Amino acid sequence: MMGRLFVILFLWGCGLPLPAAPAGKAGFDSVVSVFFKANCVKCHGPEKAKGKVTLHNLDGDLAGGKMLERWELILDVLKAGEMPPEEEKSRPAKAEVAAVTQWIEAELRKAVAQAKEVSVAPQARRLTNFEYENTIRDLIGFRLKLTDNLPKDPEKPYHFNNTAEFMLLGPEQVDRYFENARKVMASAIVDSAKPEVHQARREWQPHGLDRGIGVDEVGVWGNRRHSPAHGMGLNSFPDTGEFVIRVQASAILPPGVKGAPLRLILGQTIQINSATQRVEPVGDAYVANNVDEPKVYEFRGRIENFPMERGRVVRGRQQPDSRVITPQVLYDDGTLNDGNRNLTMPRIVINWMEFEAPVVDVWPPEHHTRILFASPLREENPEAYVREVIRRFASRAFRRPASKAEVDRFAQIYKLVQPELKTMEAAMRETLAMVLISPQFLYHTVADGEVTARPYELASRLSYFLWGSMPDAELLKLAGEGRLEEPKVLDQQTRRLLADARAKDFVRNFTMQWLSLAKMKTVPINQQLFPRFLYYVSAGERRGTEQPYRPTIRDYMLDETAGFVAELIRRNAGAANVVESDFAWVNQPLAAHYGVPGVEGNHFRAVPLKPEHRLGGLLTHGSMLIGNGTGSAPHPIYRAVWLREAILGDHVAEPPADVPALTDTAGESAEKALTIKDLLAKHRRKESCNDCHARLDPWGIPFEHYNAIGKYQPLVPKEGARVSGFNLQTHGDLAGYAAYLKTVNTEKVEAAARVPNGPEVSGMPELKAYLLKHRGEDVAENILRRLLTYGLGRELTTRDRFAVDELLKQSAANEHRLLDMILTICQSPLFKGTAKE
Amino acid sequence: MKPKSWHLNRREMLKGGGIALALPFLNGMSWAAPAKALPKRMLVSYFSYGAYMPNGGNGIPDPNKPHHDWSWWPCRDAGPLTFNQSAKPFEPLKDYVSYYCGLDHAGGWSLGGHSSGDVFATGADMVGRQKTNSISIDQVAANAHGHETRFASMVLGTEGGTGSYGRSKTLSHRGPGRPIPSMHKPQEIFNRLFNPYAGKGVEQVRAGLKREASILDLLMDQSRSLKGRLGHEDQGKVEEYLESIRALEQRVERTSKWTHEPLPEIDTKGLNLDASHKDPKEYIRCMYDLVYLAFQTDTTRFASLMLESENSSQSELWNYATYVLGYKGATHDIAHKRPVDYSGQWDRWRAEQHAYFLQRLKDTPEAGANMLDRTVVLWGSAHPHASHSTKNYPIHLAGGNRLGLKHGHLHSFEGDKKVPLANLFVSMLHAVDVPVKAFADSTGPLAEAQA
Repeated sequence: MMGRLFVILFLWGCGLPLPAAPAGKAGFDSVVSVFFKANCVKCHGPEKAKGKVTLHNLDGDLAGGKMLERWELILDVLKAGEMPPEEEKSRPAKAEVAAVTQWIEAELRKAVAQAKEVSVAPQARRLTNFEYENTIRDLIGFRLKLTDNLPKDPEKPYHFNNTAEFMLLGPEQVDRYFENARKVMASAIVDSAKPEVHQARREWQPHGLDRGIGVDEVGVWGNRRHSPAHGMGLNSFPDTGEFVIRVQASAILPPGVKGAPLRLILGQTIQINSATQRVEPVGDAYVANNVDEPKVYEFRGRIENFPMERGRVVRGRQQPDSRVITPQVLYDDGTLNDGNRNLTMPRIVINWMEFEAPVVDVWPPEHHTRILFASPLREENPEAYVREVIRRFASRAFRRPASKAEVDRFAQIYKLVQPELKTMEAAMRETLAMVLISPQFLYHTVADGEVTARPYELASRLSYFLWGSMPDAELLKLAGEGRLEEPKVLDQQTRRLLADARAKDFVRNFTMQWLSLAKMKTVPINQQLFPRFLYYVSAGERRGTEQPYRPTIRDYMLDETAGFVAELIRRNAGAANVVESDFAWVNQPLAAHYGVPGVEGNHFRAVPLKPEHRLGGLLTHGSMLIGNGTGSAPHPIYRAVWLREAILGDHVAEPPADVPALTDTAGESAEKALTIKDLLAKHRRKESCNDCHARLDPWGIPFEHYNAIGKYQPLVPKEGARVSGFNLQTHGDLAGYAAYLKTVNTEKVEAAARVPNGPEVSGMPELKAYLLKHRGEDVAENILRRLLTYGLGRELTTRDRFAVDELLKQSAANEHRLLDMILTICQSPLFKGTAKE
Repeated sequence: MKPKSWHLNRREMLKGGGIALALPFLNGMSWAAPAKALPKRMLVSYFSYGAYMPNGGNGIPDPNKPHHDWSWWPCRDAGPLTFNQSAKPFEPLKDYVSYYCGLDHAGGWSLGGHSSGDVFATGADMVGRQKTNSISIDQVAANAHGHETRFASMVLGTEGGTGSYGRSKTLSHRGPGRPIPSMHKPQEIFNRLFNPYAGKGVEQVRAGLKREASILDLLMDQSRSLKGRLGHEDQGKVEEYLESIRALEQRVERTSKWTHEPLPEIDTKGLNLDASHKDPKEYIRCMYDLVYLAFQTDTTRFASLMLESENSSQSELWNYATYVLGYKGATHDIAHKRPVDYSGQWDRWRAEQHAYFLQRLKDTPEAGANMLDRTVVLWGSAHPHASHSTKNYPIHLAGGNRLGLKHGHLHSFEGDKKVPLANLFVSMLHAVDVPVKAFADSTGPLAEAQA
């Protein structure tokens, strides 16, 4: 930027006119195509087509529209100074480049202005599975697990899947929607008679504190048989309904520990040697009271969301289905599980547990009466009542008032099924289930000028953006009154939605896809090199496997990243915080992993950072570092791709077909220590690889201090050294292994690389400093584009370029603060659907 | 074909009938099963990231190098099969298997790195002419003969769903832009195949289906009215929905028809429906077992099974080689690094599972022969040794000996002998009585495959 400014000032100072290309075809012929011929066509022409881009076949007519994307690409790389590549000996003068970019930009603007519509992407797209489950939750008033029964939604790294391109629909999908819809209505509408209540209770006798871990205690690791840790079995429960579990508990805490996290899981028993039992967490509590003051903790859930064990046939008799409630102590302060240390860890004493389902305090429950509302109409005029029930339900399910024709059709369905299904409850279940497989429910709400007015589309767009769910009553009311589009109202509503707990769903879903985090869960961690990392099962058939049934550091890392982004929005912090921040978002287990002292408890919170923590921003998040590593070693290419795609907003092409695989690509290095830099150098000596990798690999090198489990590690083994994995006989315990690693990790990690078109940066602090100083605008633009893409549910195209520029300007005026950025997006004509009519 | 009695227009009946008449009408539509011809079956299966071929990374064994003991190819030269370490599991099936060298889909050539798996069963030209995927070989067969069994086809995978362009999680497509989501949960597959009434009585099921048919009609009308209100670009999306509802109507009709046939008895001994990805052998065998059971009970005759999908970094498939062999890295890395100690072993493990399935078919007698004699089984990947290459697939065909296929050879189609892989597909379709003239870019049947 400075450079260009300088050139301009210099030319100005000499009294020379700024060379400007004439508009249109004339400018193309006299300036642009001459420039292309001189500087570009050698590599992007008939002979070579590097990066699959050619320029010789462009004509000067942009309005034709076919090549808009390519023109935009050319504009971007020229402006950024990425092309022609820096190693090219004769590079064009900056003024020449400026003349070309100005011409392209002007012509692009004309072309976009002439285009008829904002976008040609279809607007009709079905709800994603995530949105579907959330919508049903808000429609009926409680969460049901439904996505397990749906075909998995497509995923593509660094892309959002809420676009029409991804959200296809086929008979298999609709088939499952059918099943789900009936399941939903079976839970939402109850029978009129008060049901039988299933109850169970179990007590554990006091054991005292002086004879080791008691039979009334749950420990962090080992537990005794018949203790509450082995769970309380249930063999009587309803098919649907809310349950309540009460637990009287207290904690035995080692000195200095203030409390212990208690979790209940419900499902199959986990006391068998298999990692495939199915369980679901019911909830968490923080137990801080001691045994002299036992307290009762209450947990609630919906029974149909929890897996069960089908009853077997024993000696010809069918045994009942069963479920088990298992309490767990999730305390983790980083202490290693390499011996019997249970007594030095917090334990939770459980005196008794009781289970009750369904909860019948109010009968029929509120979720039932919300649909089949109490009214004299039901008796006086059943037909009118049925229509009213349908009208109310469909108007919420469709996210806009149901038309009379629609109510008629569903009333017809009701009439069709009622004689056979007998009761109003049963017939209404079937009728309303059909509402849930209508296209008006399954597809996003699109204004059609007839039954759907534009404000309803905006209400839905807003709620699916910021909640991943349907609009609530307030939004629909404002839409109905035509007030939602008023800037002040829209602003206030956007803030309200963001402050709601449901906004967490948005941030998590958005962040997972934006940063392409899901793969971090399946990277195979080399357990010999990192024996502590995954909370391994220490004995039995499952020995050495990742501890199932409880959250691991990996899970917490995803919470960290999603929580961090949510906190940035909450604080209205600037976009630069994704590169560097003065706080980390961690809980105790994660803080122990990263080496941040003084964090207690499993809840996440902002912790102020010091330089020695070597954290801050997203670049040091374990989720990203593990996901873009090999499980044994860092993977600089993956990390470079991540940085460019997720943070800088570049598109990195996938490796093309027919490139020879390098037999010794990066990644093997930790087992047979080899320095990554040498491997990459090899990579770049091949011309076919070098074209892309010269602009890619250097971005990954400064991450090298962060190892495959996301920890700072400045020293590595010498090149060629063989590192032995953890071995109990040789190393004694994990501390012994740590001491051994210290003796072999003797070489300083090299983390210096010259970034493309930039200086040499060494390590994370310099990389961050460089990004903040020189790429801050790119980072902000990237976040803005991501948010907008997600919010609109379609990919941005060249046609959106100038609208985005406008938003970016407004955002820059607010120092790219994130909450403000979201507010700006929601007020934009693009988002409101008023861009071009 | 003469219309059968049940081809009576169901909708017309509904108009006159109504619910009370449900049962008599359904009986009236009852379908007299014709004398059953012996089934002709087909499975298409896929493994990802290519295979180990140290003496010829481009997918053709190098004639100047000795054959490698751990190459995926069982022997170097075209001709009668001999079996190296990697192919050993197929030795007992010598007369039932063939290897084809040098075949591929031209439509997959320019699909990037790991994307050509998308077109393995379709041969579509996704980059060039067609833009989207197109109908897969199993669906061509299902369209022709699917009505003869309770399910027209079954579509299985190990990750589930459809995936997206360039990262497909299914092999099957019913047409352009119409991927069929694969099912990957054993228990769910079992329930859907063999316990479709979920414990309900047949009468109850029929009544439910009858009701469903009428409701679908109403729903269809309602949705059609939506169509007129949406913009041009959205028409396709509405059509997607309407087609789905139409397909459901057909399914309802079909299911009603099949309620008159007893459900098959299933021998579930040794079937571990709880198998998870953490135990790849159990899991993969369970998937093969489900295909076997579906074939054995004539529940369906056409299946696809994406044993591994490409771009599996978000799934446990990524860890398969770790669980199976203790490999310290992602399974996909084997394809890039081709480590000497693991590459062959990994292929061998895959071969063992596939051979297990073939052997099960072969061990099951059927009409004076065995099930493998009447089942065509394709097994292959869309990459050779070089996992970013999209040419010269590893292709393995088994069975169908009584359907006009012949086995026991390695066939080579390198150089000027090159023909499209689709030619083999044409021969496979002919074997299962689907007399197509062409499939994708085929130039005719593959004489080498046929007896």
